[in-house]
Amino acid sequence: MKHTHSFASTRRTFLKTVGGGAAAVALGGLSMPALAQDKSLTIIFNGNNENQVAALRKTIADFEAATGSTVTLNLMDHEAHKTAIRNYLVAGAPDVCFWFSGNRMKAFVDRGLFDDISDLVAEQNYAEVLGGTLGATMVGDKVYGLPLAGTLWGNFYLKNVFEEKGLVAPTTWEETLAYGEAAKSAGMAPLAFGSKELWPCAGFFDELNLRINGLENHIALMDGQMSYLDPMLQPVFDHWEELINADFFLENHTSYGWQEAGALLSQRKAGMMNLGNFVKYAVPEADIPHLTFIPFPKIADIPRFEDFSTDSIHIPSNAKNKALAREFLAMFYEPENLHAFLAPAGNVPPRNDMPPSDDPLVNAAVESLKTVAGTAQYYDRDTDPDMAQAGLNGFQEFMVHPDRREQILTRLDETRKRIFGVS
Amino acid sequence: MYPRPIAPNAKAHRALYMGLVIAILLAWLAPLCAIILTSMRAPKDIATGNLWGWPTEFGLVDNYVGVFTQTPMARFFLNSLMITIPSVLGVLILSTLAGFVLSKFKFRGSMLLFAVFVGGNFLPAQIMMIPVRDLMVRLGLYDTTYALIIFHIAFQTGFATLFMRNFIAALPNELFEAARAEGASPAQILIHVVLPLVRPALAALAILVFTFIWNDYFWAVVLTISDSVKPVTAGLANLRGQYVSAWNTISAATIIVAVPPVVMFFLMQRHFIAGLTMGAVKG
Amino acid sequence: MPNFWRQHRGWIAPTLFIMPAVVLFGVVIVASSVQSLWISLHDWDGMSPMHWVGLGNYQELFRDPQFFTSLKNNCIWLVVFMLAPPLGLGIALLVNQQIRGMRLVKSLFFIPLVLASVAVGVVFTWVYTPGFGLLALVFSAFGATAPALLSDENLVTFAVVFAALWPQVAFCMVLYLAGLNSLSDDLIGAGQVDGARGLNMLFHVVLPQLTQVTFIAIAITAIGALRSFDMVSVMTQGGPFGSSSVLAYQMYEQSIFSYRFGYGAAIASVLFAIMLVFIVWYLSRIMRADDRGA
Repeated sequence: MKHTHSFASTRRTFLKTVGGGAAAVALGGLSMPALAQDKSLTIIFNGNNENQVAALRKTIADFEAATGSTVTLNLMDHEAHKTAIRNYLVAGAPDVCFWFSGNRMKAFVDRGLFDDISDLVAEQNYAEVLGGTLGATMVGDKVYGLPLAGTLWGNFYLKNVFEEKGLVAPTTWEETLAYGEAAKSAGMAPLAFGSKELWPCAGFFDELNLRINGLENHIALMDGQMSYLDPMLQPVFDHWEELINADFFLENHTSYGWQEAGALLSQRKAGMMNLGNFVKYAVPEADIPHLTFIPFPKIADIPRFEDFSTDSIHIPSNAKNKALAREFLAMFYEPENLHAFLAPAGNVPPRNDMPPSDDPLVNAAVESLKTVAGTAQYYDRDTDPDMAQAGLNGFQEFMVHPDRREQILTRLDETRKRIFGVS
Repeated sequence: MYPRPIAPNAKAHRALYMGLVIAILLAWLAPLCAIILTSMRAPKDIATGNLWGWPTEFGLVDNYVGVFTQTPMARFFLNSLMITIPSVLGVLILSTLAGFVLSKFKFRGSMLLFAVFVGGNFLPAQIMMIPVRDLMVRLGLYDTTYALIIFHIAFQTGFATLFMRNFIAALPNELFEAARAEGASPAQILIHVVLPLVRPALAALAILVFTFIWNDYFWAVVLTISDSVKPVTAGLANLRGQYVSAWNTISAATIIVAVPPVVMFFLMQRHFIAGLTMGAVKG
Repeated sequence: MPNFWRQHRGWIAPTLFIMPAVVLFGVVIVASSVQSLWISLHDWDGMSPMHWVGLGNYQELFRDPQFFTSLKNNCIWLVVFMLAPPLGLGIALLVNQQIRGMRLVKSLFFIPLVLASVAVGVVFTWVYTPGFGLLALVFSAFGATAPALLSDENLVTFAVVFAALWPQVAFCMVLYLAGLNSLSDDLIGAGQVDGARGLNMLFHVVLPQLTQVTFIAIAITAIGALRSFDMVSVMTQGGPFGSSSVLAYQMYEQSIFSYRFGYGAAIASVLFAIMLVFIVWYLSRIMRADDRGA
């Protein structure tokens, strides 16, 4: 890195500083054409929301105007991106990319593929505005990305439908069972569930395990320190089986993706859905105001722990222009820009100095987080990716064949031993 | 001819037969009709699960215009052409040369070489992902259209060489002996004897290879990241990612993506059958 | 050196002709495949240094129940896919008439062949969707409830293969149409003189002339069945819980989602070993045909 700009927290001074830098480069460009190349930046975004893309494009345009750089934005399909990132981080990295924090990020950090941006975080004093959220993108005491929106997991339902059908959203296990019966007699599936993409099963497992065994034990399991055959897990699967046997989940859930299942809420074919705020993508515009969040019911008498997963933005180690990438990150992460980018998705913003959201779902999540004692990320972000793949398949199989519990858990434990090298 | 032709004067019989064939055709194309109908639907139909009935409301123009305004689909389309056309040409040239040598020259190891071409073509391509990616990085071609062109030519050459070798092997030996007796060089034989005769086979092969390469998605994901080089299938997937439930837009894009191979097929239909008749069939 | 050239052009020219194909195919395809075989002897996440495990991946493979599920599914694919040649022949016979408009009808029958498999997969997913899929509508017209095919671990593979048959039948039909076009009228005439007609004619006069087509149709269908990947990936992602996975998909899943490239490469090697059976059968047929021709 040749030199670092001193980043200013207000936009105006930032522009001035960078503008000065750009002028210097422009002058130097006459004799050193190589420097001109330093002003190009490539960004890959795996987004699935057109308003988010629009916000990102606006920030990019501002950035180009301010720095005299050329930014190329490449959009990639969310699923294809999972394959692509494993290739491009090694083969031909962009300067900025989007990914998931937690263990998924750590997998790349361990292989030296994400750049350490602790310097940027220190300069911008992000620790102050991020607080604990910064932990999501840290490995050891170094920071490898900036956390974006957080998704708080829980149950969602349409208030108008519940009123119409006389249903009450459950807060305890007894109420859950009673709700299930009530929903069924109203001719609805108690829980809209689409397990075709596998991961929704893991969300449900997380909820049960966090409610019954608490965060510390859950993390021990994620880290491979606890056996899948541990007797502590039996009550988790007992509760799950109780719901399965009570036909709590949508019939043939393995045929549905989460979006198709989510569409059943406003069709009044299903009552609740266990997911994050993004459930709103599956709900028609007209019904979104009725969409209501409620935490997963209490089971054991322990503090409340939740899945709160955070996406993140990174600079690959193989990026060509890391200095400019840092400048971009700083601008992108300014409160208004970040707000414009995050608001369409309706998730919890990471900075505490951002404009208040006008999305009731976001505010409900922010409010709810105040009473949460601790958070996990999500099964497939907290545990090893290899373990996660086996776990997702195992949980889905359990939801169809609860009688195979023993067999599934034995298989998962063998996988755990192979991956974590324990016996 | 088999089955026995229906007599041209049996008008009623012919009409009845045609009716039957068309009924079967409609059932055969029902899934395609669903895509076409869906590409004309307004979003409301999709939300209420009307995938098979007549659209209650039309969104034909919106859907098709949407494909081009919501993604750089025109760019992707151009990229696809820039990848597919050179690839097809490359495959045709390499496989004609290789097929000629493998069928008309006797040398030690020719069968083994042929076996390698056939065998390589039978591999599940996914497993070559990492080695091919590393190769393209070493060549400095990663994330360029050349990476895709080179890979597609190499991979399709296996199948195409098999096809061309069989086709050329079936050409009468007398032709080649006569040419040799007149003192023609291998290059002259290739140009004056082989090329005029393999044209139908090349037409058939061109259609097949065009379709295979045009429809590739996997390698587009592995070898490209920039919108400026990605082919149309990756654009289709982007659309899927951004508007997951917008089946009407996705269907419209699917139809648009299918147009070039279908057009190609209709244009070269006559050659296609002729090429297969002589090539694959009389191998 | 015109003299030198004249003496040696017999081998120089063919060598030059075949070189581009050999080099390109050798560098890209063969080298990559060999490298994959090498990878299968390692524990490797695709990014860090490789760790030698010898035959460890293969040993694990033969203890992996998912491997046997995938293998079984590949067998189902292979068997059910063999419906494509006879069905293709059936349609080819149906449309092999010279009636006005038949040319267009033939072309329309080909269309599934040129559709991207992603499109085929998506549309058949709609067909099978419980509740409002085409299948569900047909069943409900008879007052019955359609089974959720993609959720049933015993039926899901059949449902996927059935969808994949659509373009495959079209492919076989094209081949047979070409074959029917080149039938010898003399032999058919002779058959008619001998009193052969209908099915009798088909089996004793027509099909023997189409052996070569049948052979190619079967070979291409077998490879298609063993290489099946796209349809599984689009329609079920191997689910529910791996029950519709096939070897090619399991390999992909292990490599990409579990970061186990060594294990994935081992699966691919086994798949290739199975294919080798077909390759050898195919080549021996060709060699015999060559011997007959020579």
